[in-house]
Amino acid sequence: MSNIPSDLRYAKSHEWVRVAGDHATVGITDHAQHELTDVVFVELPQVHRIVKAGEACAVVESVKTASDIYSPVSGQIVEINAALSNNPGLVNTDPFGDGWFYKIKLSDAAEPEAMLAAEAYGKQVQG
Amino acid sequence: MEMTVESVKMELPDTKTLRVTWPPDYEIEFKTGQFITLAWPDTQNYKRAYSLSSCALDRGAFEVTVKRDGKMGTRIVDWAKAGDKIMVLPPAGRFLPVFEETKHLLCIAGGSGVTPFRGFVREATLLKHPTRITILYSVRTPSDIIFHDEFRQLEKENPLVSFHVTCTRLPEGHEWAGRRGRITAEWIREHIQDLSQTVFYACGPNELVNSTEALVLEELKVPKEQMRTEKWG
Repeated sequence: MSNIPSDLRYAKSHEWVRVAGDHATVGITDHAQHELTDVVFVELPQVHRIVKAGEACAVVESVKTASDIYSPVSGQIVEINAALSNNPGLVNTDPFGDGWFYKIKLSDAAEPEAMLAAEAYGKQVQG
Repeated sequence: MEMTVESVKMELPDTKTLRVTWPPDYEIEFKTGQFITLAWPDTQNYKRAYSLSSCALDRGAFEVTVKRDGKMGTRIVDWAKAGDKIMVLPPAGRFLPVFEETKHLLCIAGGSGVTPFRGFVREATLLKHPTRITILYSVRTPSDIIFHDEFRQLEKENPLVSFHVTCTRLPEGHEWAGRRGRITAEWIREHIQDLSQTVFYACGPNELVNSTEALVLEELKVPKEQMRTEKWG
């Protein structure tokens, strides 16, 4: 059974958001990394890039597949997790911690509120 | 283990079969339906696994059929050529055909997930296994069908093999005369003769495999022991 922290918001497409003021950290869920299997490469967006919610902005490749990652919120990328370039396996070992993808300055603070809470996301992934 | 690309063949504009020759004196026991893991010598930490599209009777080389997907898929499809060196981890996996006389293998595939079933059918045909194999294959359009001519030829050689295609994204007015739409429980049911003797296989994108598993296990009430899955073949 997947770990689903209660303090995060979730997208149906399996990204999570941790909000702190007008900034948010984005990554993919434990369920997503489990489905992907061993992650071997992560391509992250450029810092300063402006993204809209639902826009493909990163790529994660596992030993079995390559998948687009969709930004669950709109805003400007302010920081990316450089550690993933040397150690993409962090996405598997710590998806909600050291395996984060990027930090974004939110352009619409209401967007995370409209995302799924942990309980609703849990129901989605458990079918 | 470093091996050499013996030949390449474009199956579709975005899909290529890579034939990789074993080194001299390399002997390995493996099974039809398994996958190998590939890496380029200059980036050995970056690995991708691909189902074998050849079968266990094809000795001396492995064949994988790769779609342009991610960095590995792009490099293979756009750049791999005969003579290239590539690192190969030995075959692994448990997506194995049950070649028993009474069994019917009902193989459901999406996109490049059809590749291991080419291995299933090759082995069954070469060894004249008395096992019925039905392939139900979901693609977007007819131009996305991998191994179309080869499966049609294998159907002629082996009367126990049948190959059926459904297209999910045809524009209105398209000339395709075959089935349209997604894989449904009804379509699967049409091909079942004796449910208790049918072994279900599903291979392809996670979404297709998950939905097929739900159709088979929940709608058709098939016991889990009769279903094998491989996500992203």
